[in-house]
Amino acid sequence: MAVETEADMLVRVQLENFSIDQELERVRARSTKIGGIAMFLGTARDHSKGHDVSSMAFEHYEGMAQKKLKEIRERALQDFDIIEALVLHRYGPIEIGENIVLIIVGAEHRADAFKACQWCIDELKKITPIWKMEYTPQGDVWVEEHP
Amino acid sequence: MVQVRLFGMLKTLVAGSNILEMPLADGAQVKDLVDSLQAQYPDLGELLRQKKVVVSVNQEIAHWETALVESDEIALLPPFAGGA
Repeated sequence: MAVETEADMLVRVQLENFSIDQELERVRARSTKIGGIAMFLGTARDHSKGHDVSSMAFEHYEGMAQKKLKEIRERALQDFDIIEALVLHRYGPIEIGENIVLIIVGAEHRADAFKACQWCIDELKKITPIWKMEYTPQGDVWVEEHP
Repeated sequence: MVQVRLFGMLKTLVAGSNILEMPLADGAQVKDLVDSLQAQYPDLGELLRQKKVVVSVNQEIAHWETALVESDEIALLPPFAGGA
C-alpha cells in the first residue's frame, strides 16, 4: 500500500465525511507564518432550480479527479501569496445538510487567503471531473442532464 | 478494440453501460472514435460534436486530432457538476 504523504492528505476525494476541525488543524500546522485562514464549505441543500431535492450522490473519475484537485492546489500555491491550501471533495451518497466540499487556505494575510479560496472553488467546479445526481420527488436528475 | 468509459448522464444514453468497447483502427484519432460512436449512439455523438461532452485520453482532455492506441485510457466527460 502506498504511503500517504502530507501533500496527499491535502488533496482528497473521499467517500466518508471529514472533520472541519481536523482539516483546519492540518493547514494551521503547516507553518507558523500563517496569520489568516479562509475556508469554503459546500453543503447539500434541499432544493435546486425550483424543485425539491431529497438527497444526492456524487460520481467522480477516479485518478483524474485527484489529479485535477492536485493541480488546483499547486496552481493556487504558485499564483497567490499563500502558504497552504487544502482541497477535499466527497463522492457517493450525501444527505441534505451534509458536507460536500471543503477548501481551506492559509496565508500570512486575509486578503490573499480569501482570494485564493474563492479561486480554488471556482476552478474546482470548472476542471474537476465530478458529477452530481439529485434525487427528487419527480425522479432522479443528473445535474446538467441536458448539457 | 478500445474501452471507452462513460460518466454521469451519458450512461443513460447507452442503456446504462459505463464502459463501451469500440473498434479502433491503426493510426486512429479521437475524431475517428467520435465517428464510430456517432454511428452507434447518435445522441451521444451529437453531444460530442457540439463539444458539450469532451473526450479525455489518459486523464487529460484530448483534441479531435489526438492519436489513439488500444492501451489508452479513454473517457467521455459530460459537463462537470462538482462543488456544492
